[in-house]
Amino acid sequence: MGPHIVTSFDDDLLAIQAKISEMGGLCEELLSHALDAVETRDAELAADVIERDKRLDKLEIEVADLTTQVIARRQPMAQDLRFLISALKMSATLERVGDLAKNIAKRGVYLANARPVKVSSSIVRMGQQTLAQLTEVLDAHTARDTALAVSVWRKDVELDETYNALFREVLTYMMEDPRTIGLGSQLLFIAKNLERIGDHTTHIAELIYYVVEGTALGDDRPKGEPISLDGVGS
Amino acid sequence: MTNQTLNDRKVGHQDVKIAAKGVDVFYGSSHAIKHVDVSILDKTVTAFIGPSGCGKSTFLRCLNRMNDTISICKVTGDILLDGKDIYDREVDPVQLRAKVGMVFQKPNPFPKSIYDNVAYGPRIHGLVATKPDLDDVVEQSLKRAAIWNEVKDRLQDPGTSLSGGQQQRLCIARAIATAPEVLLMDEPCSALDPIATAQVEELIDDLRSNYSVVIVTHSMQQAARVSQKTAFFHLGIIVEYDDTTKIFTNPTDQRTQDYITGRFG
Repeated sequence: MGPHIVTSFDDDLLAIQAKISEMGGLCEELLSHALDAVETRDAELAADVIERDKRLDKLEIEVADLTTQVIARRQPMAQDLRFLISALKMSATLERVGDLAKNIAKRGVYLANARPVKVSSSIVRMGQQTLAQLTEVLDAHTARDTALAVSVWRKDVELDETYNALFREVLTYMMEDPRTIGLGSQLLFIAKNLERIGDHTTHIAELIYYVVEGTALGDDRPKGEPISLDGVGS
Repeated sequence: MTNQTLNDRKVGHQDVKIAAKGVDVFYGSSHAIKHVDVSILDKTVTAFIGPSGCGKSTFLRCLNRMNDTISICKVTGDILLDGKDIYDREVDPVQLRAKVGMVFQKPNPFPKSIYDNVAYGPRIHGLVATKPDLDDVVEQSLKRAAIWNEVKDRLQDPGTSLSGGQQQRLCIARAIATAPEVLLMDEPCSALDPIATAQVEELIDDLRSNYSVVIVTHSMQQAARVSQKTAFFHLGIIVEYDDTTKIFTNPTDQRTQDYITGRFG
């Protein structure tokens, strides 16, 4: 794609792209710090994540504002239009990812005051897996790389499987020792938040594909089985 | 205004009204249209878009033989209206133009009264028998062109006394007074303000239920708003011809993409 004849149109699109990129980078950082806070039981780091999520909310509003102005003033067509519509969706999605990271941090504050259990290492692994997916999809977005986006989209099934395994593991602990129920519930919520971030990641992959290719990615994504409780604790 | 949703407005399986096959147009030694094939559907608005000099107006003017009046212009290939060759020797161009009406970029009312501007076509083609019938055709045509209320009390004033936007709607009334089957519009709104433009667009949408409308426009937004099919002309060929929704959201050809998004081609 060459530049627009009206160069200020390119400036507008770049400004929106820059804000989306900032949101993406911030999401990665918030999730990474939230996971560190859970792993190292660092209540201060967790509080910092909660505070910095506000910046994401602000950016989302700025993207919506800018996008609305560009649509009103330039009447974009084709790829430009797809980019702007997707920018709106993308910023909303990233804002949600930030909220989920914030929620993980909040639960990290609780965990910081609880006694350590072995299961934390599973949650850390799942966290790393989720973060890697998010990083990859944001790279795909920057490079407009649909092949990478599709590969991230397909890999979400692995995250679903990790989630199911972790769910069963935590449930087993809680059944064995009712004193771990409070802690275990927090871990389950963290796992669920990570699983949701994975879903948002696949949504971003779909948006990237739509912007570049002009068609929807489709609905034949491999998905994990719903959790079965059979055999848990037996 | 009908309450159609965007989906209802998708192109159905309309019959082909005009079929152009292998059309070439030469102005002397200049090759203006290069082997164009296109099917214009009935009860559908088709937009021709493209940069200046791409041949869209030239091609439009072939569809009712307006190019006949230019001595150095030569048209080859077939243009079939309802399956019949409009360049056949037996076809009378005047009769053809009653069936395939035209509205031009600049309003060009006859130096006659508002009434006579509209009544002229029905009169020369003998479409009405009595004065009350003619009055009725004039009134209906002016109403459909969304100008009746502005001129009903001054029908005997000269057409040229109207404002530019009113003159253009008068010309549209004149074009539809002969009940054409196809209406060709060459930049019909380029001299109109946004309100008059909206009225003409509303009229185009309305005409679609009975006629085949072909519109040449430089406004991409207008093409996107009013048409169901769009053809993108460039350097005398049709680069891309598809559903309007496809052309404006996800065109196939890079040249179309560059043009409609305002990039260097």
